[in-house]
Amino acid sequence: MAEPVIKLENVWKKYELGEEELSILKGVNLEIMPGSFATIMGPSGSGKSTLMYLLGLLDTPSLGKIFLNGQDVSDFSEDELAQIRGKKIGFIFQQFNLLQNLTALENVMLPMIFQGILEPQRIERAKMLLDTVNLEHRINHKPKEMSGGEQQRIAIARSLVNNPEILIADEPTGNLDSTNGKIVMEILAKLHREQKKTIIVVTHDPTIAHYSQNIIHIQDGKIVSNHFQDTDILWKENGKNLPDVPPGEIKI
Amino acid sequence: MILFNAINIHNLKEYFKIALKNLTTRKVRSWLTTIGITIGVFLIVSLLSLSQGLKGAVLQQLNMMGKDLIMIMPGDITNIATMMGGQKITDGDMKIIKQTKGVAELTSIDYTSITIRYDDVKKTVLVYGADLRNGLDILKNDVGWSIDEGRWPSPNKNEILLGSAVPKDVFLGIKLGSNIMIKGRKFVVVGILNSVGSKQDDTMVGIDLNIFKSVTGERTGSKQMMVKVEAGANVDDVAERIKTNLNENRKRQIGQDENDSSYTVLTSEKTASIVGNVMGMIQAVIIGFASIAIVVGGIGIMNTMYTSVRERTKEIGIMKAIGAKNRTITTIFLIESGIFGMLGGIGGTLLGLIFAKGIEIYFQIHPMFYFKADVGPVLIIFSLAFSFFVGCVSGYFPARTAAKLKPVDALRYE
Repeated sequence: MAEPVIKLENVWKKYELGEEELSILKGVNLEIMPGSFATIMGPSGSGKSTLMYLLGLLDTPSLGKIFLNGQDVSDFSEDELAQIRGKKIGFIFQQFNLLQNLTALENVMLPMIFQGILEPQRIERAKMLLDTVNLEHRINHKPKEMSGGEQQRIAIARSLVNNPEILIADEPTGNLDSTNGKIVMEILAKLHREQKKTIIVVTHDPTIAHYSQNIIHIQDGKIVSNHFQDTDILWKENGKNLPDVPPGEIKI
Repeated sequence: MILFNAINIHNLKEYFKIALKNLTTRKVRSWLTTIGITIGVFLIVSLLSLSQGLKGAVLQQLNMMGKDLIMIMPGDITNIATMMGGQKITDGDMKIIKQTKGVAELTSIDYTSITIRYDDVKKTVLVYGADLRNGLDILKNDVGWSIDEGRWPSPNKNEILLGSAVPKDVFLGIKLGSNIMIKGRKFVVVGILNSVGSKQDDTMVGIDLNIFKSVTGERTGSKQMMVKVEAGANVDDVAERIKTNLNENRKRQIGQDENDSSYTVLTSEKTASIVGNVMGMIQAVIIGFASIAIVVGGIGIMNTMYTSVRERTKEIGIMKAIGAKNRTITTIFLIESGIFGMLGGIGGTLLGLIFAKGIEIYFQIHPMFYFKADVGPVLIIFSLAFSFFVGCVSGYFPARTAAKLKPVDALRYE
């Protein structure tokens, strides 16, 4: 069996609340296989966001270890983690999290600036990605001038610019209507299918699970179930219940 | 290594663009923050260039005075009480000066304000009494007086000499041959001087010292002596000897302590160095106060930057999530505060230059004295560098605060 791309080993996350200690994650063990599409589900307060931040190397565990491609990154410095995030992980957030001062093109180019990629290549790649999410006509618009669906597609383009192995999406459809939500999920599914990206989606929306082969349930800081399913069967069974995607919206 | 540097410089340009965008999004606040620095730099540039110009004007006047001339005044220049005492150099003092080794010629000059009348206009004017019989050489060669129109007054005659600005600024239309009344005596204008470079000197009138004494009733002594040293004698040595002799004499007469100097003996070089020292002190005070203004401006920058860090916490989190290192965040915030400082510096320098040049033009139109605002490149570079430095320093702590935010906390911040 292949080596997991991300592996959590007995990971705890604790917060000090005055005298008391609050454990958000209580000894989580988890392996995310390369090229898999994992969905992390759980009620609010279950620790799924905290788990997402740890998987995305945005936070460090209080106890336990995190391995990325077999390397223990638990003790890495902030700058080392930033470097890894910039290169290997793309983020898609519920709130889109685009920089409001920057245009669509500039937002998409930003992760490449942090990697020191020169301007001509940056522009070329950012334009190409904006084209694949069908937003080439919006490159000079600022986030405020765009709809939620458009902003999320910009965010997807941004997450892809440095060609990361892993995409982490935190409630990516949470702020979108069902049509736009479906467009976003289709893009993720396609990236998974055709580019073999490892996709981790955190959500409480059960329809999203239909895209996923690996569904992880978390409750009270513990993983309560982790099962695998054949998405092709699910497609056949549930595909007709999903809203239609307008033709020509996705090129990925 | 070269590639590494190239990437850094290239990135710096990008961070600069990002910083600039952040500043332009909050225009009003950015301008207000910049004004804080602008005021300080404006003070430094305008006041320093004015004081420098003032120094230049004074030194220029001193330069018109011959180098081998010594001026002697009663009272100590460092003790205002003795200067205001209305003391005079007595005839006895004069004898001592004359006997001092190295003194070639001496002449006394006396002056006082008198109300004089031309036509029906009465004005109070500074009247000089100059020894035209013995001291004309010194006046011409060393004090720098020269006749523009007419001739020098003859000794012991009621003839009067006008400063160059008198026909224009004091008695309009007065000319050679006009009559002037001083304390009931009639004087004839026989000469008009060339400008000597200061409003005060150019608006005075001059008469023969003997006539001056009889007009004012002050028959003995004078307010000022001018000594020309012998050829080859050291001016400073002669000045020192004169001072010692005068003080010893006074001590003999009234038993005064020798250290309690009652005379001021100045050479033009000494005067220049006194002026230099005084202006230096004034400039130090200006720099001190203006620096405080700039520091206050710097605190304004710091305040703005802290506010900015708080407002942009989420943004900082996003940038960190997509690969920004702590150093990157620090750099962006430092550039922002540096721009505040730099803009303030440029604005203050421009305003300061405009103000100083404005004063210069004002004095060209209303020539009180001949004034040139002196704005050197050193002053400009210093102001710009200092304000940029203050901007960066003020931004350092806010930038560090921003960089230290943990990505997860920053992202969760609403």
